[in-house]
Amino acid sequence: MTSLNGSNGMAPYLGKLVVVKDMAPEIKLFGVELLNGGNARFADYKPGQFAFVSAFGAGEAPFGIASSPQRGEVLEFAVQRLGSVTTELHEMGEGDTVGVRGPLGNHFPMDAFKGKDLVVLGGGIGGAPLRPVLQTVLDNRADYGHLTILWAARHPSLLIFRDEYESWRSAPDTELHLTVDEPDAGWEHDVGLSTTLLEKVAPSPKDAIAITCGPPVMIYYADKTFQALGFTPEQSYVTLEARMHCGIGKCGRCNLGDKLICMDGPVFSMAEVGNLMESFL
Amino acid sequence: MKVVSRDGLAAWLDSLAQQKTLVAPRDVDGVLLYRPVASSAEIVWDYTRPVLSIKEAFFPATERLLVIEKNQQRVELQETLPEGEQVIVGVRPCDARGVKALDTLFIETEPVDTYYARRRANTTLVGLACKEMGETCFCTSVGGAPDDPRDVDVMLAEVEGGYAVQAVTEKGEALLAGLALQDVPGEPPKPVLNEPVPLPETEAWPPHFDDQFWEDMAERCLSCRICAYVCPTCRCFDVRDEALPAHNGHNRYERIRCWDSCTGEVYRRIAGGHNPRADKGQRLRNRFFCKFYYYPQQVGSAACTGCGRCIDSCPVNIDITEVMHHLAEVSR
Repeated sequence: MTSLNGSNGMAPYLGKLVVVKDMAPEIKLFGVELLNGGNARFADYKPGQFAFVSAFGAGEAPFGIASSPQRGEVLEFAVQRLGSVTTELHEMGEGDTVGVRGPLGNHFPMDAFKGKDLVVLGGGIGGAPLRPVLQTVLDNRADYGHLTILWAARHPSLLIFRDEYESWRSAPDTELHLTVDEPDAGWEHDVGLSTTLLEKVAPSPKDAIAITCGPPVMIYYADKTFQALGFTPEQSYVTLEARMHCGIGKCGRCNLGDKLICMDGPVFSMAEVGNLMESFL
Repeated sequence: MKVVSRDGLAAWLDSLAQQKTLVAPRDVDGVLLYRPVASSAEIVWDYTRPVLSIKEAFFPATERLLVIEKNQQRVELQETLPEGEQVIVGVRPCDARGVKALDTLFIETEPVDTYYARRRANTTLVGLACKEMGETCFCTSVGGAPDDPRDVDVMLAEVEGGYAVQAVTEKGEALLAGLALQDVPGEPPKPVLNEPVPLPETEAWPPHFDDQFWEDMAERCLSCRICAYVCPTCRCFDVRDEALPAHNGHNRYERIRCWDSCTGEVYRRIAGGHNPRADKGQRLRNRFFCKFYYYPQQVGSAACTGCGRCIDSCPVNIDITEVMHHLAEVSR
């Protein structure tokens, strides 16, 4: 028997939950401290990469990593309760043991984005894999141009990372816009779809990059809106998802035509998406 | 050619069965399957092909990946890597071709699949040439042949009085050490071939992605997934945890992977319920494109060996050679 040291792509590292925090109804933020040597593997993971998290006994599922290694060794995942694995994770508390396999997949080319304005559009739980993009820009603020954050959810209570909005707003050369489908009594921001907000804010495509994550239908219409604003498909990036089972190109579950989301993605430019044989929609 | 008598072959196989796991076509309650045999007497020699391919000897229908022991907050994991050597006898050349196709994904494309690679390294393949092609066989149309020795370690072909024996690889030669062979003039008889099916060029596929053909063909598809189950190269899998009996008061689980198929309804459904391949036509198209276009693009080998099992087993007579004929016709 070989050791569980990462040579077997299907064997997870063990990790201890050090943070379990309610972010919204049915959405929790989990902080994981890796136990058995996984730290070296996760020393330099990049924005956009994902990992499988195991709730042992229920199974494992892939999640975009919501943290950045520049901010410490604790890996963070924002998890919405939807299926058996996420339900089991939601039952767990600080001190409990989970498994982590990764980091997997490609990442946002943050180096290539340097010097450019960034428009980051996150819909619901789709904002989670975009948080490391925001953190990277904010932690290396001088390397990037203007940052426009468009953050959307169905309801104000479903907006994620709310306790960070002040630090985003107060960062230099950074603006945050919020919108919800159904406002509540105290809501002071926009109401409507993320694409309506995007039309209103109307960021300039000049030397700019658009980054979107959300439900497939939102990605589809956000792309149309970005195009109408003058963004080319090469300037527009998305991160796609699939219910994959291995993350290492074997299980077949995440194919989009001849491409695999786990190996060729999850980050794609819309130019690449346009060349895919099969639609993500 | 070098020949061994039937009795000589049987004695050799009996001694192999003492040392390693011997797998061969065996009658299991009226169903012919590659299964471990205790002695050569259990082996069936006269058959077209077993109902399932030898895929399951390397990539079992359900395979344990880990054992998980949970005691409150403490978790211990045990990797369950396959152990022990096996010799598979009576492998049809189409099935050996299928293993080769799986090799390109599981071993030759990084990262190496630990479980598959371990079984593969511990296995020796003894092929058996087909005397004739079965009714639905079309291996010769996809680059194979009923007596193709390329993908096995030892090749057998039935001749008068016994079997012609050919060592194909060093592993095969090592296995044959100690088997008394007689030099006999002549060659094994050539197999009787079926009329070939046209094989569309790889490039012929993408322009026909949006053809109405797929939807029309899928109208009768039941999404039952038997085509993938019997296929020697279909390799999609699902991973899940299942409970095991508790031990010393600790909860125990196994993490398993099991065969999956892209024609299944929920295969591409994502979190939140969206399914980009909700229509049967999209799913059936994916199956055929994977065989002849996606898999070759991804790992460099075609994923159809012409064994014909999917044709035999489809309850609504969906026929992969019909697809090949169609593609060849529309791309002419």
